[in-house]
Amino acid sequence: MEGELTAKMERMRHVMTEYGTDMIQAMVILVVGLLLLQFVMRKLRVLLDKKVKDRIRATTVLGIIYILALVIIFSAALITVGFDSRNLLRLMVMIGLGAIVILLVLRPYLPTLPFKVGNTVKVGTLLGKIEATTMVHTRMKTFDGKTVFIPNSKVLNDFVINYHYTPTRRIKIDIPIRHIRDILKTKQIMESIMVEDPRVLLKPARPVVYVINLVDGCVKMGARCWVNNTKFWLTQCDLLEKMLNFMERDKIVLAGRRQAIRVFHETPLEVSGEGTGPALDMQATSAAQVPEETGFAAVSDDDEI
Amino acid sequence: MKITDAMKVIDDKWIEKKKGFRVCLQRREGTEWVTDYTPGEKVAPLDSDVTTWRLAWKLAQSTPPGSGDPQDGDMINIFVVDQDNNPITYYATGAKETFNIYSV
Repeated sequence: MEGELTAKMERMRHVMTEYGTDMIQAMVILVVGLLLLQFVMRKLRVLLDKKVKDRIRATTVLGIIYILALVIIFSAALITVGFDSRNLLRLMVMIGLGAIVILLVLRPYLPTLPFKVGNTVKVGTLLGKIEATTMVHTRMKTFDGKTVFIPNSKVLNDFVINYHYTPTRRIKIDIPIRHIRDILKTKQIMESIMVEDPRVLLKPARPVVYVINLVDGCVKMGARCWVNNTKFWLTQCDLLEKMLNFMERDKIVLAGRRQAIRVFHETPLEVSGEGTGPALDMQATSAAQVPEETGFAAVSDDDEI
Repeated sequence: MKITDAMKVIDDKWIEKKKGFRVCLQRREGTEWVTDYTPGEKVAPLDSDVTTWRLAWKLAQSTPPGSGDPQDGDMINIFVVDQDNNPITYYATGAKETFNIYSV
């Protein structure tokens, strides 16, 4: 037992004597190299952020530089320890080729995120711009300035709307009016406002106004037009503002939602004679028309853009 | 007449689709009133008349005409024009509007 331990110690002493200096040198190369790489990458990122407008390209370039530098540092450390540089090169080529083959074969089966950095997307109820994606989570900046870290598992399991896949979007503005006699005038106002706006497109479809419904005593008018994705929100707001102004000027009465409130009065009915029977509830009802908020709205599922 | 021809006539002659909007104003430079545009004539105009009218109104509010002599930088007769420099009607009132009216 004691002999085995002595033999092990002796072997270790021999290894340390023979390779100790090289191992320390390799460790120094590794540590200094990695620290230097971190420092250089930080400086490079700041520089590229200032100089390059395309952030996706900048990130790709930085990634390639980082991987190449890592390979060089590890190779230098291994060669210092005593690895044969030719064998090392072969090993790296084999690993590289293997990785490419695995990627090519497995790529169709690997779950991929349905967006890229810079896309404006809606994940579940979150709407914003994708800032970065990692193996674990996606970093999104919402339009009210919050940074949200969404687990990729949630992204893959939830519905995702990517607004970059199509260049155009349809604006939908519904305005309820009170009187049927105003239908034609409202149609003309809504349509002419859309047609004259420089941002409203004639394709994929021309601006159009529909009489959508007659409900709760009001006529629901619906305007539809197409605009470029990037101009969607502002155009929708401008169109709604102009439509409301024009309608106000032309004395078109907007319909407010109505709600009937019934008030019940309990009045016991007295019955004369022996014994008093059960009081009869007399229900007097009165209805009051209470105007609620007006129901016009630019209808969109992305109101927070 | 085919529907496509009819649509072409409508597109060309019914309502003119504006190409852009600028704020037109007169600015005091030294002893003269100089006509200026924002955004300038060499850059792309704004694509929203709502935004352009808002810009005009804010400029007018920022430089209300004083009672005394005009000062350097004063801005008067502020209104919105289209791509051809034609004044456009203010969507809020339906009339041609000019802010900070001042006869030169």
